[in-house]
Amino acid sequence: MSQDRPNNHPEPKVGVYVCHCGGNISDQVDVEQVARQAAGLPGVTAARHYSFMCSDPGQQMILEDLTSGRVDRVVVASCAPALHETTFREVLRRAGLNPYLYEHANIREQVSWVHHGPGATAKATALVAAATAKARELAPLMPIRVAATRHATVIGGGVAGLTAALDLAARGVEVALVETTPFLGGNLALLDRTFPTNEAAADLLTGLARRVLAQERISLYTCARLTGFSGYVGDFHLSLSQAPPRDDETLERLARFGEPGPECQPFRGVLPVAPPNAERRIELNTGAVVLATGFRHYQPPEGEYGYRQSSRVLTLPEFIALMAAIPAGQPLAFEGSPVASLALVHCVGSRQIPGIHEPPPGRELNQHCSRVCCTASLQAAGEARERFPETTIYELYRDIRSYGRGHEDYYLKASRSGVVFARFNPEDPPRVEADDSGDNPLKVTVKDTILAGEELELGVDLVVLAVGMEPGPVAELTQLMKLPQGADGFLQEVHPKLRPVELASGGLFLAGTCQAPMDVGEAASAAAAAAVKAAGLVTRGQVELEPFVATVDLARCDGCGDCVAACLREGALTLIETAAGQKARVEPALCLGCGVCVAACPAEAIQVAGWSLPQFRAMVQAIAQSGAEQGGQA
Amino acid sequence: MHATAQQPKVLILASEACAYPGANAVGQAHQAYSDHAYILRAPSPALFPPQFYLDCLDQGFAGIIIMSCGVECPYEGAYQVLAQRVDQAYQLMKTRGLDLRRLRLTAICTVCNRAFLNEVNQMTRLADEIGPARDAETAQAA
Amino acid sequence: MNHAPENHYDALVVGGGIAGLQAALDLAEQGFRVAVVEEDASVGGKMIRLSKVFPTLDCASCITTPKMAAAAHHPRISLLTYSRLAGLERAGGGFAARIERKARFVDEDQCIGCRQCEYACPVLLPDADQGGFAARKAIYIPFGNAIPQVALREEENCTFCGKCEKVCPTGAVDLLQQPQEISLTAEAVVLATGFRLMTDYPNRAYGPAARQPNLITSLQMERLLAPHGPYMRVLRPSDGKEPDSVAFIQCAGSRDLNLGVPYCSRVCCMYAIKQAMLLSGALPLADLTVYYLDIRAFGKNYEQFFQNAKAMGVEFVKAKPVVVGSTAEGAVRLRYEDQEGGGGGQEREHDLVVMSLAVLPAAELDPTGLGVGLGADGFLGSVSPKLAPPLTDQEGVFAAGTALGPKDIVDTIVEAGAAASQAAAYLAARRAAGRAAA
Repeated sequence: MSQDRPNNHPEPKVGVYVCHCGGNISDQVDVEQVARQAAGLPGVTAARHYSFMCSDPGQQMILEDLTSGRVDRVVVASCAPALHETTFREVLRRAGLNPYLYEHANIREQVSWVHHGPGATAKATALVAAATAKARELAPLMPIRVAATRHATVIGGGVAGLTAALDLAARGVEVALVETTPFLGGNLALLDRTFPTNEAAADLLTGLARRVLAQERISLYTCARLTGFSGYVGDFHLSLSQAPPRDDETLERLARFGEPGPECQPFRGVLPVAPPNAERRIELNTGAVVLATGFRHYQPPEGEYGYRQSSRVLTLPEFIALMAAIPAGQPLAFEGSPVASLALVHCVGSRQIPGIHEPPPGRELNQHCSRVCCTASLQAAGEARERFPETTIYELYRDIRSYGRGHEDYYLKASRSGVVFARFNPEDPPRVEADDSGDNPLKVTVKDTILAGEELELGVDLVVLAVGMEPGPVAELTQLMKLPQGADGFLQEVHPKLRPVELASGGLFLAGTCQAPMDVGEAASAAAAAAVKAAGLVTRGQVELEPFVATVDLARCDGCGDCVAACLREGALTLIETAAGQKARVEPALCLGCGVCVAACPAEAIQVAGWSLPQFRAMVQAIAQSGAEQGGQA
Repeated sequence: MHATAQQPKVLILASEACAYPGANAVGQAHQAYSDHAYILRAPSPALFPPQFYLDCLDQGFAGIIIMSCGVECPYEGAYQVLAQRVDQAYQLMKTRGLDLRRLRLTAICTVCNRAFLNEVNQMTRLADEIGPARDAETAQAA
Repeated sequence: MNHAPENHYDALVVGGGIAGLQAALDLAEQGFRVAVVEEDASVGGKMIRLSKVFPTLDCASCITTPKMAAAAHHPRISLLTYSRLAGLERAGGGFAARIERKARFVDEDQCIGCRQCEYACPVLLPDADQGGFAARKAIYIPFGNAIPQVALREEENCTFCGKCEKVCPTGAVDLLQQPQEISLTAEAVVLATGFRLMTDYPNRAYGPAARQPNLITSLQMERLLAPHGPYMRVLRPSDGKEPDSVAFIQCAGSRDLNLGVPYCSRVCCMYAIKQAMLLSGALPLADLTVYYLDIRAFGKNYEQFFQNAKAMGVEFVKAKPVVVGSTAEGAVRLRYEDQEGGGGGQEREHDLVVMSLAVLPAAELDPTGLGVGLGADGFLGSVSPKLAPPLTDQEGVFAAGTALGPKDIVDTIVEAGAAASQAAAYLAARRAAGRAAA
C-alpha cells in the first residue's frame, strides 16, 4: 500500500486477465497486445493472458494474484458476462475479497465473433480500458438482507384462498386467512356439481374446510377486512377490522346455519366459526400476502335479454340452484308451471365489443372471455336433458369454448342428448320478448349463422343467461395496497409467463380468479403456485436482494425531493429529517435499481450501486480516448 | 490535438435485460458490424441524465444509440421516463445546434438480430458521414 | 440431510421443458435439491423453439432463456441433458433411478461452445430444430441459446473424417465416448414429459394429397417466423417465394372421434391467430385465412387478441377443409364447406397452408415404469383434478404441464408451480415424519 494515501483509500490495484478462448478470441484479437496495453493503464498491477481463463489453471492464476496482494480487483476479458461473470466473482470470494470488485469485458460475442483484423484488437483494447477504468471506481457491495417473518396472510376464503392457506401451512408457515363474510367457500359454494368430475361442490368445500380448521398454523379471521397496510417484502404490517355482520342478506344466510363447523351447506357455504359479536382490531406482522379475492358474476342490467323485465329470465347460477332444488324424478318447473322449453344464452357480460355493446352506466365493457361459462352451460344443459327429457333446450352461442380436460365430453353429451344449438353473431344478438299470443310466455328470436342467417323464433318458458365473471369488489383493497389492475379490472400479474402469480411489489401474490376467469382446478393450481412462491420467500427467514440499489451521498443531498418524485416504486425513496437537514433516504428492500432517480438528482447525490454515473463516465472516457495515442503514433 | 484520422466512434447503451443479450446473439450468429460501435450495459438507460448524452458527444463520440427493452422493460414505467429524458436531451442538443440524428432511442430484444444490425449500421454510416460531434462544432465555430 | 451423497436429490424432475424447469426452480427455491433429466441435448423444450408467444407477443427466447439460465446456475439444481430415465423403482420409501447419459461424443466439461467443430464438419443434414428447412452439421450445438452450450455428434451420419477432433481447441471431442449409466435417488418425482403433435395426421386425413412441400405444421411455421429462423423471413418451402396467401386448418386431428382424439388441443386457436398476426407484419399484403370450428380464445387477454386479429383483416371461416391436391404453381388446394355460407362445397387455393395439429401424449409420457394412471384422453391422470391437478395415483409422483393434457404456456407455468407446491408439502411431511421417527 502506498504511504501517501489514507488507509481507507488505498490506490486500487487492478488485475487484467485476457482470455484466448482457445482461439475463439485470439484468432481475431492480438491478446498479447491487449494485455500489454492494459499493463500500461493507470492502476493496473498485473496484466496476463491465458488460453482459458475459466479453466481451473486460469482461475488459479487470478486467485494467486489476489491472495499474494498483487491485485485487489479484477477485470477478465473473455466471453459474454452471462456465461462467466459469476464464475469470476466466485474467484474473488474464494480469495476472501468482495465479489463485486469485479468487472467483465466482453471481447468474444462483442469483438472476436463480429470483428476481424486490427480493428478487433483495437476494440478489445478499448473495452479492456473501459472495464479497468470502471474497476478502479468499484466499491465493495453487500447483498441486502431483509428479515422475513415466517408468516403469510391470505385474503379471501374461496377455493383459491383455502388452497393457498393449506399449502403454506404444509410448508411450516403460520397463516392468517382473512375473509370479509362469515362464510368460507366463495363462489364455489354456489355451484352444484363441478365439471369434469361431477364432484359435488359442497363435498369439495367440506373437505377443504375440515383441513383448514384442523390445521393449527392457520388463524381464521372471518367478517374481517383490511384497513391498514404498510411495510415491504418479508415484513408487512396489516391492520384488520372485524365486525359483526349487519346486512340482511348475510343475516338471513346465517340464520340457516346451526352450530359452526366445516360442513358445507349446498349453495350457502361453510360457517367455520361463529361470527364475532363485537368489533375488534387486529394487527398482523406478515412476510407475504396472497390475494385470493375471487370474482363476482356479471349482473345484467334491467332489460338485457329481458332480465328483470320477466321473472322467467334467470342467470345460470340461479338456474343451477333451481334444478338442484327439484326432487329426483320430478319434471322441471318454474313458479309452479312446467318448463317445456328453455333457451340458454352464452356470453352474457363477456366478450363485449366496443361499438356493438353498451356498457351499463358507470361500468366498463367486459371484453374478456369468462372461460368457464361454455362448459358450465353445456353441463347444465346436458344435466337438464338427462333429468327432464321432456324439456327442449336451445343453446344460443358465439363459439363453444369447451377447451379443458373432459370439457368436450359435455359438448358431445349435450349434442347427443338433443340440445339444439344455434350460433349468433355479436352484431345480431338474440332478442327476448314477452309473448302473450303463443303457448310460451317468452319468445326468443335469433339469427342462426349456421343456417345461413335464417331467423329462428323460439317459444320458451325460461331464458337462462350464462353470465360471465367480473373481478370481485376490490376497490378498497386495490387503493390500500396499491394493486395494479388490467384493463379488464382483474388484478395484474408482473408478466403472464415470467412471473404469473406475482405482483410487481415484492411479497404480494395472486391466487385464482382475482387475476382472471378460471375454473376450480385452475384456481386451485394458481393458489398452489402462489403458495410455493410465498413459502419460498418466508421460510428462509430472510430475503436476499441484489445490492444494485440506489444509495444517497448525504453530503451532497440537499433534500430537494426530485428523486422521490421521479421514483417508480412507492416508498422506495422518502425524505427524512436529519441533524443536517432534510435528506433523501432509500429503502433498499423496495428499490428496483432502475436508476430513474439518478437522472433526476440535480446534485448527483444519488447513484445505483455498481452502476454509478462516475463509473459510466470513466468507461466512456476510456473508450473515447482509446486508440487516440496509437492513432497519433501511426 | 485528437486523432481525426480515427474513424468516428458510436456508443451503444444497452439494457441489461434485453438489448445487451441481443448484441450477444448477434455475436453468436457471427454477424459482423462496425468495430467502432462500443456497447456498454446498464440496468436501465433511464438512469442517464440528459446531459450525460451531450457529455458523451463532447468526449468525441459521433453518435449514441440507446437500446432499451421498450415497453417490455422490467422496470414498470422506466421506459416512459427514458423517452422523456431523451426528449430533454434533444432539447439540449437543439440549443447547441447538434445534429439530432446523433442520438437515437430504440428497443431491441434478446433475439432482434436484424433490428440490432440495422440500427448499428445506420448509426455507424451516419457517424462516418458527419464525424464526431465536437469536430462538427469546432468546424462551425471556425 | 446436509451430508447427503452427491447422487441423492430431494426431487427428480423428468423433462426439462418449461414445466420441468419451473417446477425445478420452485422446488430449489424452497431449499430442495433437484435433478432434471432431459432427453434433448438442451433444456427449454418446445417453448424455446417458438417464435413469439401469445397474447403478449414476447419473443419466446426472451421468456425461456432466463428460466433456462436460472436453472443452469442454481446451486441446488443439476441438469442432466441428453439423458433419459432408464428405470425407476421404489427404494427405502423414496425412489432409485437409473439415468442413461447418451453419448455426445463431446466432453461436457471440456467443451467451450465455440462451434469450431461444427464449422469444420463437412456433413450437412436437415435441422429438425429449424423445421427441417435448414441444414446443420453432424457435430453441432443444438441452437444458439441452447443450455448447455455443448456440442454433440450424431453418430449415424458422421463420416469419421476426424476434422472436428483436430480443430477442437480443448480436445473435447471424443469419438469413442460411450453412453454412461448413473444412479441417483430421490424422494419425489415430478413428471413434466410434455407432448407430441399428431404428425401422421396429413397422411391419415388427406392421403397422397398430403405429400406437398407447402403444407406444413404449426411448429414449422413457428420456425419460419422465428428471428433465428431458417430463411430469416417467411418464404414458401417449395420455391422460396413469398406467399401471397396463407391458411390455417384448425382442429387438424383434434375434436375428431374418428382419429381417437375427442378432446380440444387448447392452444391451436391462439397460436394460429398469433401466427396470422405475425404474418400480417412479415407479409403485409398476404391474405390470411383461419379455417376453424370454434375460436377458443379463453385465457386472460386472449379474446382481445382475437378481436385485434379480426380488426387487422385476418379472415375467419367456419369450416374444416380437406387438402385435395396442389396447383402447378405449388399452391395447396383445399375443399371445404363453409358452415356459415349456406352449405355446398367450395374449393380454394393458398400458397402456404399450416395445419394446427392435435396435441398428443408424449411417446415417453411415463418413463417411470411405475404405471402411473392415465386419463381417458391418454395423458397422465390426476386423482384430484379440482383441488390438486398435479397429484397422480402414485404416492410421491407429481405431474405438470402438457403431460397432464394440452395446455398453453401460462397455464403450464402455473401448474408447474402447483406441482412444486404439492411436492414440497410432500417432502416437508416426509422430513417431519423422519424427524419424529428419529
